[in-house]
Amino acid sequence: MPTPTLLQSIAITLIQCVLVVLFVFVVVPLTVFAERKVLGHIQQRLGSTRVASGHIGVTGWMNRGMWKWGRIPVLSYWRGIPGLVADVLKLILKEDIIPAKADKFVFFIAPAISMVSAVVVFAAISFVPGTFFIFPAWFPGLGGLPVSGGIADINVGLLWILGVASVGVYGIVLAGWASNSKYPLLGGLRSAAQMVSYEVPLAISLLAPVVLTGSLNFGEMAQRMATGTSAWGLVPQVFGFLIYLTCGFAETNRLPFDMPEAENELVAGFHTEYSGMKFGFFYLAEYINMTVVSALAAGFFLGGSWLLPFGLQGLVNQLLPADAWIAGPHAIFFVAKIIFLLFTYIWVRGTIPRYRYDQVMSVAWKYLIPLALVNLLLAAFVRCAV
Amino acid sequence: MFKNEEMEINLGPQHPSTHGVLRVKLRLDGETITHCKPVIGYLHRGVEKICENQTFFQGQVWTDRMDYCSAVANNLGWAEANEKLFGITVPRRAQYIRTLLNEFNRLASHLIWLATHALDIGAMTVFLYAFREREDILDMNEAFCGSRLTTTAFRIGGLREDMPPGFEKMARKFLAKFPTCLEEYENLLSENRIWKKRTVGVAMLSAEDAIALGVTGPVLRAAGVPYDIRKAFPYAAYGEMDFEVPTQTAADTYARYLVRMAEMRQSARIIQQCLDGMPEGPVMAKIPKILKPEVNEVYHATEAPKGEIGYYLVGEKGSTNPYRFHVRAPGFINLQSLPKMAEGGLIADIVAAIGTLDIVLGEIDR
Repeated sequence: MPTPTLLQSIAITLIQCVLVVLFVFVVVPLTVFAERKVLGHIQQRLGSTRVASGHIGVTGWMNRGMWKWGRIPVLSYWRGIPGLVADVLKLILKEDIIPAKADKFVFFIAPAISMVSAVVVFAAISFVPGTFFIFPAWFPGLGGLPVSGGIADINVGLLWILGVASVGVYGIVLAGWASNSKYPLLGGLRSAAQMVSYEVPLAISLLAPVVLTGSLNFGEMAQRMATGTSAWGLVPQVFGFLIYLTCGFAETNRLPFDMPEAENELVAGFHTEYSGMKFGFFYLAEYINMTVVSALAAGFFLGGSWLLPFGLQGLVNQLLPADAWIAGPHAIFFVAKIIFLLFTYIWVRGTIPRYRYDQVMSVAWKYLIPLALVNLLLAAFVRCAV
Repeated sequence: MFKNEEMEINLGPQHPSTHGVLRVKLRLDGETITHCKPVIGYLHRGVEKICENQTFFQGQVWTDRMDYCSAVANNLGWAEANEKLFGITVPRRAQYIRTLLNEFNRLASHLIWLATHALDIGAMTVFLYAFREREDILDMNEAFCGSRLTTTAFRIGGLREDMPPGFEKMARKFLAKFPTCLEEYENLLSENRIWKKRTVGVAMLSAEDAIALGVTGPVLRAAGVPYDIRKAFPYAAYGEMDFEVPTQTAADTYARYLVRMAEMRQSARIIQQCLDGMPEGPVMAKIPKILKPEVNEVYHATEAPKGEIGYYLVGEKGSTNPYRFHVRAPGFINLQSLPKMAEGGLIADIVAAIGTLDIVLGEIDR
C-alpha cells in the first residue's frame, strides 16, 4: 500500500471530515423526528403527522405534496418527515434578535463554542476499526490510498474527547451571562455547576474500560473488547455503564437532569434570549452531544463496531471469506448501537420527572463519584488478577 | 470584596408554569426564595359586578367562566344559592343527576391538576395520560349540555333536560376503565424516586396555618383536617351517598397528591352510587318565569374540587337582579398560602407549590 504524501493525507482528512459532518447532520434531524414519534407513542398519540401549517411558501408546498401522498394509509403516518426540513428552514429564516443590553460579542460567540465543541469530538471517534475503504485506482490523485475509520486515529483519543467536550460548557455559561437577563443567568449558573460536577464521575467511569483494555485509543479499545474475553466491556463494567449513562444524561442536559433549561422553572434557561439560527446551534449542539455520548458508550461499553462479544467475533470472521468482513457491517453495528442509546434518551424523557437543582448536585457528589471510584478500583483489581 | 445581593425576579405573568396569568414577585438568594409575593388581577373581568346587572337566571353563565376547569361545580353552587334565596325545592332525580355531574367534574378538575402538576415537575407523559381520560368526561359534558368546558349545566330549580339517551352507558363505560387508568398514573408517580424527592417535605403548610389562612379543599385535608362540605353540610344528594373523606397528615406536596388521588377513587364511588340509585321523576321544579326574592341574603357553600366555593347573594325586594353578589373563590383564598409554602424553598419548589395549590386564575381574579 502506498504511503500518502502530506497533500494527499490532508485531502483524505478533509473527505473524512465531510463524511463525519454529514453523518452528524443526518443523525440530528432524524433523532429529532424519532423523538417526536417515540415520545408520541409513549404518550399514546401519533407524534408529528403534518408540516407546519398553511398553504404558502416552501412548507405549504411540502404540506400539499405530503397530503396528496398521505392519502395512502401507511404514508399518512410519515407525513411529518418534511417537518425536519421545515424546522431548519424556519430557524434559518427567523429574525435573529440580539437583546439591546447583551454583550454582543460573547452573545454571538457562545452558540459557536457549543456547536464546535460538540462536532470536534467526533474527530477521535472511529466508526470502523482499521481501514474504512480504499480509493479505487482510477480516483484522481488518491488512487489506492486507504481511508481509516476515524478522522484522527490518535493514541490519546479519550483525553481529546473529554477535553474538547468540556469546552462546551463555556458556550452555555457565556450564553447565560451575555444575555444580561435573569432567567438565562440562573440557567447558565446551574449548568456551570452541573456540567463541571458531572464531568468528574463521567471521566472516572470511562477510565475503568481504559484500565481493563489498556488503551486510550477509541478503535483499539473496541477491538480489544470484542476480540478478547471481556465481553464488550459491558459485563464486567455494568455499574460503570450505568454511571456513565447517568452522567451522560446530565452532560447533555436531558431529563431528568435538564436543569439549565428546565422549561417549567426557567422558561427556556440559558437560551431564553436566543432566536433564529443562534438558538438552532444550541439545539443542534444538544442533539450532537447526545450522539457523542451514545457513541462513546457504544465504543467503551458495547464493543464499538463489533457485533459479538466474548471473542465470538473472531470465530465468525474465520468462518467467512477474508474480504467478507469489510467496513460496511462494522459501521452499521456501530450506528445501530448509537441509535439504541438515543432511543434510551427518549424513553427516559417520556417516563420520569425532573430532579431539583440541589438534588442533581447531591446525586453527583454523594453517589456517582464514590461509586465511580469504587468501580475503577474494582476494575484495577480485575486487571491485576487476570 | 464581593458584593452580596439578592436578585429580584418576576415569575410570570407569562411563564409556562404559573397556570395562567399569575405573577409572583420573588426575591432570590442564589436559588433560595427569601421573599415571595403573588400579584393577581391580570384576568379580572368584574364577574361579580356583571352579575349584579343581570337577572338571577343569567348569572350562571358567568360562574362557568370563573374556574373554567370545574364549571359544573360552580354552576351547582350558584343554582343552590339561588334556590336557597327563593325557597325552591329541587326534585330528587335532579339532585342525583347534579351530584353525578358534579363528581364527574371533580374528576376532570383533578385530572387537570394531576396533568399540569406532573408536567411542572417534568413528568410529561402523565400529562397526556390524564388528558386522555378527561377527554371522555368532556364528551359526557357535551352529551349532557352541548358544551364541553363552559357547561351552564343546571337551571335554578333543577335541570333543563333529563339525561340524554346513552349517557348512562357512557358513564358506566368510563367507570369501568377509570380504576385501571388511576393505577397507570400511580405506577408512573407514586413510588417514583424522583417524584417523591420533588414532593415529599416540599411546600409544607401545617393545619394551624391552613386554618388561619382560610385554606380549604384537598390542601387542608392533606394537613389532617377532615373538613369536606359534602360531609359536614351535605347538599345535593351527598347526604344519601356513602363515601369517605381521604386525609393525610404529612401536609406536604406528596400528601396532597395522595389525597387528590384518593378523592378521585371516592368520586368514582359516588358516581357509581348515583347511577345505581337513580330515582325516577321530574327534573325541574315548578318555578315562576320571573324570580323576585323575598329573603334578603344567603350564603351557600359547596365543595368545589379546589375547596369551599361560597356564593353570597343579596336580593332586593322587587328587583330581578341581585343587589350584591360575592364569590368566596377557593383558589383566591388558597393562593394566600403561597408565600408560606414557598419562602425558604428553592426556585424549583415554587413550581411544585403553585401546582399543588391547583389554582385557576379565572377564579382568583374573577
